[in-house]
Amino acid sequence: MQKVGIVGFYQVKLLSDANYGRYEMIFEAVRGALDKAGLKKKDITTVISCTNDYYDGRTISNAFAVEAGGAYLADESKVEMDGAHALLYGMMRILSGNHKLAVIWAGSMASCFPYHSARLFETDPIWERPSAYVNDITAAGFQMRAYMEKYGVSVEEMAKVVVKNRRNASKNLLALEEAQNPNLTVKDVLDSEIYADPVTELMVAQPCDGIAAILLAPEKQALKITDKPVWITGVGYNQDAYYLGDKDLSESKSMRLAAKMAYEAAGITDPIKEINVAEIFEAYAHEELILKEALGFAEKGKGAFLNSEIDGELPINPSGGALGGNPPCGTGLIRIIEATKQITGEANGYQVEGVKKALATGQIGMCAQNNIVYILEGGN
Amino acid sequence: MSKRTQRKSMGYIKKDYIRTRTMPGSWYLSSYRFKFNITHFKPFQDKLKERKLVGLQCSSCNRVFFPPRLICGKCFVKPDRWVDLRETGRVATFTITYLKDLETGEVSERPVVLVQQDGSDTTYTAQLSPDVDYKDTYIGMPVKVHWAEEPTGGLMDIQFYDLVEDNSKDLELRKD
Amino acid sequence: MGRQVCIASAGFSEHASKRSDVNMPELVSEAIEDCLKKVPSVSVNDIDAFVNGNMPAFEGSNIPELWMTDWMGARNKPLMRITTGGTTGGSVAIGGYYTVTAELPGIDTVLAIAFEQQSQGDTSTGLASVAYGEISVLNTLGISYEQLTQLLSAGAAIGVASYQATNYMRRSKITEEDLARVVVQNRHNAANTWWAHLKMPDLTIADVLETPYISYPLRYGMVCPASDGACAMLFTTEEKAKDLCDIPVYVNGVGSVANESGVLGYNGSGAGQLDTSEQLGAMKSAELAFGQAGISFPRKEIDYAEVYSPFPNQELMWIERLGLFEENTASEMYETGVTALNGELPINCSGGVNSTNAIGASAMERPAVAALQIMGKASNQVPKTVHTAIGHGWGGIINLITMMVMSNKPTRKIK
Repeated sequence: MQKVGIVGFYQVKLLSDANYGRYEMIFEAVRGALDKAGLKKKDITTVISCTNDYYDGRTISNAFAVEAGGAYLADESKVEMDGAHALLYGMMRILSGNHKLAVIWAGSMASCFPYHSARLFETDPIWERPSAYVNDITAAGFQMRAYMEKYGVSVEEMAKVVVKNRRNASKNLLALEEAQNPNLTVKDVLDSEIYADPVTELMVAQPCDGIAAILLAPEKQALKITDKPVWITGVGYNQDAYYLGDKDLSESKSMRLAAKMAYEAAGITDPIKEINVAEIFEAYAHEELILKEALGFAEKGKGAFLNSEIDGELPINPSGGALGGNPPCGTGLIRIIEATKQITGEANGYQVEGVKKALATGQIGMCAQNNIVYILEGGN
Repeated sequence: MSKRTQRKSMGYIKKDYIRTRTMPGSWYLSSYRFKFNITHFKPFQDKLKERKLVGLQCSSCNRVFFPPRLICGKCFVKPDRWVDLRETGRVATFTITYLKDLETGEVSERPVVLVQQDGSDTTYTAQLSPDVDYKDTYIGMPVKVHWAEEPTGGLMDIQFYDLVEDNSKDLELRKD
Repeated sequence: MGRQVCIASAGFSEHASKRSDVNMPELVSEAIEDCLKKVPSVSVNDIDAFVNGNMPAFEGSNIPELWMTDWMGARNKPLMRITTGGTTGGSVAIGGYYTVTAELPGIDTVLAIAFEQQSQGDTSTGLASVAYGEISVLNTLGISYEQLTQLLSAGAAIGVASYQATNYMRRSKITEEDLARVVVQNRHNAANTWWAHLKMPDLTIADVLETPYISYPLRYGMVCPASDGACAMLFTTEEKAKDLCDIPVYVNGVGSVANESGVLGYNGSGAGQLDTSEQLGAMKSAELAFGQAGISFPRKEIDYAEVYSPFPNQELMWIERLGLFEENTASEMYETGVTALNGELPINCSGGVNSTNAIGASAMERPAVAALQIMGKASNQVPKTVHTAIGHGWGGIINLITMMVMSNKPTRKIK
């Protein structure tokens, strides 16, 4: 696979109830990314958006966002998954040789809709939806319980992930204010309101408002645009079984296969040694542990014992991760932006020392059904 | 690959055609709160109260947007110049809707038009004066704003559009 | 960068107004079976990746691909969902093409699937919700509900199309009879296509003109039906396609250009498309796709065209805007039989969207039929040999256009 350069990015500050119009927010993100890279509207050849019609409350949610997303008379398309998947499509378009500059924007405004009830539309309409017992939160409850029982991991370990990520988020100026908490304790997490035992309120990544944008360019153009490009050297994506009973909930097979594809492309044989920092999309606290194991950073069931603090063995989510704010559809793209910042050294306040290779993931579906992994590298 | 695993599809094709079980469900749009920014609308609304029309002009491509727009998609900047517009305009295109009165069952034929205000570069959905016979509508028809009795600063201040006498030379041609 | 991409096969499910005998995943399964049946050496296990899409919100399922994982055979395989409204199918086909041409490790053969089961949901609510957000803006700005109802009835696809029809009829000076002629040709063609929905072998122009207006100048007899159906296309590399089928169809150019919305702008502001039949986006899409394919004279080089035309005025408009005919001459071509099955440049021999419209799948059925015409495997095969064909789609608020140029020889320049 040829490498593709990230030449610009922008993320608006995550807010729980933004005083923004939808198009204004999209415009700020895309315009911001263009300005940061010193580019103009006429340089854009393709635009990939990522929103979800149920989250936006309108069919064809990209149709009215053409002007705001910079897609006027550009080759436009929409991926209705996670922002990270949209980035993949943008990357494919760059790799085809048809396009010179791709804009990828993703995100949504969770303050406009009841996010978790929109997630209900993902459930099986015949068996699961009428009873309404299964939604994304209860599914997370199933998964967390299955993981804890199988490997004998205590609920405190889950709470520690929350403490770490929310503490990290407090250093990230763009993270959601409600999620930032430098003094959180394990007890606070376990004492917060119970959603679906053992999932408590603070273990859930809070849906919020936010849009992020990334600019991609082929190798030659990327070097012309910026001195510090970040290269995508590997990508893998994979879909798991749908019904919760059809898969082993205590692990993530799709992430394992996706990671295999990405590592092969990037030539990584020993991920824990070669990768310096990881940004993982964890919609719930336990997902960070399960995905960490699937990515090959730890053995199954041992994820909690790998030190993932900013100064730890393998820093995970130094930006706070999805627990630091989860704008639907945008979170995966923000993870990639944060990984990029770690490589270029722009992560003020939560910078990990000496990052050469970074990893970022995105996901959609109940219990992270579809996963995507990126390997990013610095250097010219 | 072995013969055993060779399959054309996952084998879910139905052989016996029986009606499938159905499940009711609904998409409750009423629970959505659509957000939008109208700060760029403010001068426009203020002027409407004075029975005056203004459009927002993009200082990069000089296109005038009426009603005002947040972003000029062509230049990808926020338009920021206000320009005065005349009360007259032209029908850019139209269609005729057939609305059924739910009580009486009567079908009323009414034209819905897109009006391009003179001096602006966009069209706006509007209604024609009820005195106009729907059969007389044609593209390029000159119209003039009919103001509401008491303007309130809303879009309904432009109650509908009145007809203006058309004296252009190719009139007969256009009416075809 | 990039490599040549071929279409090895394409398949359809049966289309009808109510496929109540199957659910959504089963419908998709039918199309996959028909697609893979045509390439005997490929099984569902040989597919490396999937690209999917449908018009969301019509059936009440968010990201239904998650649900139909096992029905497609996508478990533990890469999958991506692309949706762009009416152009979903075309966008998915283009997505399939890009997935192959990007040379991602381990991905050679890609199955692209687009589907719609309109009978499961409420299409009119779905279509109304396209502009629901924008119309609610108008409401807060003081437009009464009474007027909004009227706007709404003219705001969905049919409304947009009738504005466009008025514009086009004025521009090219055609009559309603000309519109009806297009419908008659389409419905006759549909009668010979096994998967089509509205098959009317005996329809006449007079029959069409007898039906009442739905919204001037379009009559009930002229508009597309609402269908349930699915379509699947198999994209693969040049080398593999040569093994799989006799005539591999090369994808030489693609485009999916977006324009400003017509009729209603975002936030309820004015529309930038002054003349909705001008279609700058379509011209730009065609320019992009023909440019990639190295086609300089589409009028001479294209042998077959499938355009997305739920309404007859659009069929006339698109073939002009895409550069197949001179402006304002399209209706003449229908009168003289140039566009008929045995004509010089046959258009929509599958019956087109005018006869079968499973919204999400429709824009994919266009390139799918065009590819099958090149292979000589189409249901209503044209007698002449087809070398180069196009498949087109439109959607959104008449602002999104997809184009795919296909040929039996590679003409795309790999840089």
